[in-house]
Amino acid sequence: MASAHDAERMGATPHWEPEDIIGKMTLSTLLFSNDYRHIAIKGMLTSVVMLGLGGLMAVLFRTELAYPGIQILDARPYMSLMTLHGMFMVFGFIIPFVVSIMYYMMPKILGTEQLLWARGAQWSYWLLILAAVLLIISRPDFTWTFYPPMSLRVGGSLVWMGYIAVLLVAISEFLAGAVLLKNGMAAAKRIGYSKLPLMGWGAISEGILLIGSTPILGLVGIVMYTDWLEVTALFDPSRGGDVMTFMFMFWFYGHPAVYLPLMPAVAIVYTLLPRFLGRPIWSYWSAVSAFAILTVLAFIVYPHHFQPAENVSGPLQRAVQILTLAIFIPSTLHVFNWIATLWSDKIPDSARRAVPFKFIIASIFFLMYGGVTAYVNAQIATDSDFVHNTYFVPAHFHAMFVGFMANMAMAGIYYLYPYFTGRMYNQGLGNTHFWFWQIGIFTKVTMMYLLGFNYFPRWVVDYLDLPQWSIPQLILTGAAYLIGLGFILFVYNIMRSANRGVTVSGDPWAIEGGHDADAAKPVPAE
Amino acid sequence: MENALGQVGYQSTMIIIVFVVLGLGIAALFAALFLPTRWRLPYSMEFLFVGLLLVMVWYGDLRSTEIFEAYQAPLNEEGVLEVGYEPGDGEFDRVIRVLAFQWGFAFINEEDEISRNAAIVEPGERVLFGLFANDVIHGFNIPAAGITAEFEPGAERNVWIRAPEEPGRYLIQCLNYCGVGHSQMKAWLVVLDPNAEDNEEGGA
Repeated sequence: MASAHDAERMGATPHWEPEDIIGKMTLSTLLFSNDYRHIAIKGMLTSVVMLGLGGLMAVLFRTELAYPGIQILDARPYMSLMTLHGMFMVFGFIIPFVVSIMYYMMPKILGTEQLLWARGAQWSYWLLILAAVLLIISRPDFTWTFYPPMSLRVGGSLVWMGYIAVLLVAISEFLAGAVLLKNGMAAAKRIGYSKLPLMGWGAISEGILLIGSTPILGLVGIVMYTDWLEVTALFDPSRGGDVMTFMFMFWFYGHPAVYLPLMPAVAIVYTLLPRFLGRPIWSYWSAVSAFAILTVLAFIVYPHHFQPAENVSGPLQRAVQILTLAIFIPSTLHVFNWIATLWSDKIPDSARRAVPFKFIIASIFFLMYGGVTAYVNAQIATDSDFVHNTYFVPAHFHAMFVGFMANMAMAGIYYLYPYFTGRMYNQGLGNTHFWFWQIGIFTKVTMMYLLGFNYFPRWVVDYLDLPQWSIPQLILTGAAYLIGLGFILFVYNIMRSANRGVTVSGDPWAIEGGHDADAAKPVPAE
Repeated sequence: MENALGQVGYQSTMIIIVFVVLGLGIAALFAALFLPTRWRLPYSMEFLFVGLLLVMVWYGDLRSTEIFEAYQAPLNEEGVLEVGYEPGDGEFDRVIRVLAFQWGFAFINEEDEISRNAAIVEPGERVLFGLFANDVIHGFNIPAAGITAEFEPGAERNVWIRAPEEPGRYLIQCLNYCGVGHSQMKAWLVVLDPNAEDNEEGGA
């Protein structure tokens, strides 16, 4: 079943020697080095900090939501925390995290040996930091979708910094997209499209998504700023603008945006599964087709985000419904492929022990758990009933963002950990982190689904004391604490193990206890 | 749950389909992880699988469109949405205009009486809501009637419901973030008891 060049294009071989890269980094390499591993480590660690900040915000407002009524947070600080939570987690944590993991993996897996146009990645990083600083200063409270004219009339005198931050995020993501596309295309040119490792396909899809969608976001940021200055009035109906212009523009970025962390996470699964199992992915071309279909669909289904609005009606509405339902197909092809790969032969004992492998399995589970409900979300009849803007929507995207993508980000960092520290993480702490997270995320997502089904509205600081609302909210807050605890264990683990972990040499993920141990043994690194 | 068309079970059917698919997926994942038997799937399996997914897409689109078109049909009747439409003799028993604002709803009945917190209807009535706003984008959701709409300032949006048969108070809420007062933007759908004598609004 596996052809001759499978081992090469599947990236089943180890690529680095474990060494203490992070210990040798100085302040100047940390800040300005264009070495791909330095950029990637910087990106990953910054993302962990962003995850901590975003998570702290979540824990604060979840504490508020534990009981009906106002306890610790008023509406405005609550909304600021909620807005910053969304922006930090999506723009600051999850997208840069998985993209950084790709920066780390691509040069060796695609055989380019270095990150092409690393300066672009460097600029992308610093612009994002600037955007995060502006966001913290301006503390916007208009949610991450900042619908005008509401967003033009809230916030303090510094809210314009939020719009500038949106523009900076767009430029930063555009640069990251250019870097990924360049590396993917260069590898494809060198080794040919039919032999391109799936990570290369992931890089190309991700690059196209980023480059195609972010210019519109930048434009939205600029127009929001000029509208706020009252120089223009494109989005403000009271001065002759049109909100629907905003909706179509924003979501043209907004839908691809949710795939921005998805594509790298999928590419990382395709890279790590063969690595842990010692055998190629079940079907290479199925994976490539799924990447391609998903990239195309990502650009055209965006009106489903504001489907219960009047402008999405008639044939447009129907077409959007069918196309959105069709997304089901490429996404399940990925999952099908992974399960077929897992099933095709014995799972080595070394994989079963490895914490990153466990995170991969949990990710596959959550991709299904979050993905299947898209079937309900996509249908106009159910969307106009209990789905639109109830907790059903956050349930869906938290299952995807946290359950799939954040779990995959964790799989990536645990996998790379021995390569950049030269030491192994603590297995017990890693396992505890794993279980805290999986139990926490599962409980959280399930409670959110339940609340959504009971019409619990999004973005509320206070709610009616109904049993079908208050009980799941309380459990949900408990789950958030559990996830927070898991995160603290993770940070403690990576900090402690960097100095005191077991030193590793050779291949930290060498396959043991496989079905056909000799044949499956990975080829040593050149 | 009963929607505006009085149909029960459409949502549940879809949720059941979703959970069956999820169950199969999880079963396959667990089998792949823990079953001692190893199975090299033939590639033809994938085509079969895609075929099944296409059937799901087809069925979802069919059911959803069917229901949504049936829901829209009364709104497309001639004259229904025009000024001077007399409810009672046709599709709807009552017309209520709803002004959504930061942060609340004003319900205006046919006699131009305004209520700031309650839409008053009778059991089982078919009620047409004409939604409009002048400030920001708002949402309009009645959980008991299973309907949600989103409407931007300047546009008028029409939705209709079948009022619950059971007299009582039912929640109406904004579902679109519209500013810091969003969580307070609630009102009640009051279904009058036809047998009660001392009804404040003099209904029944």
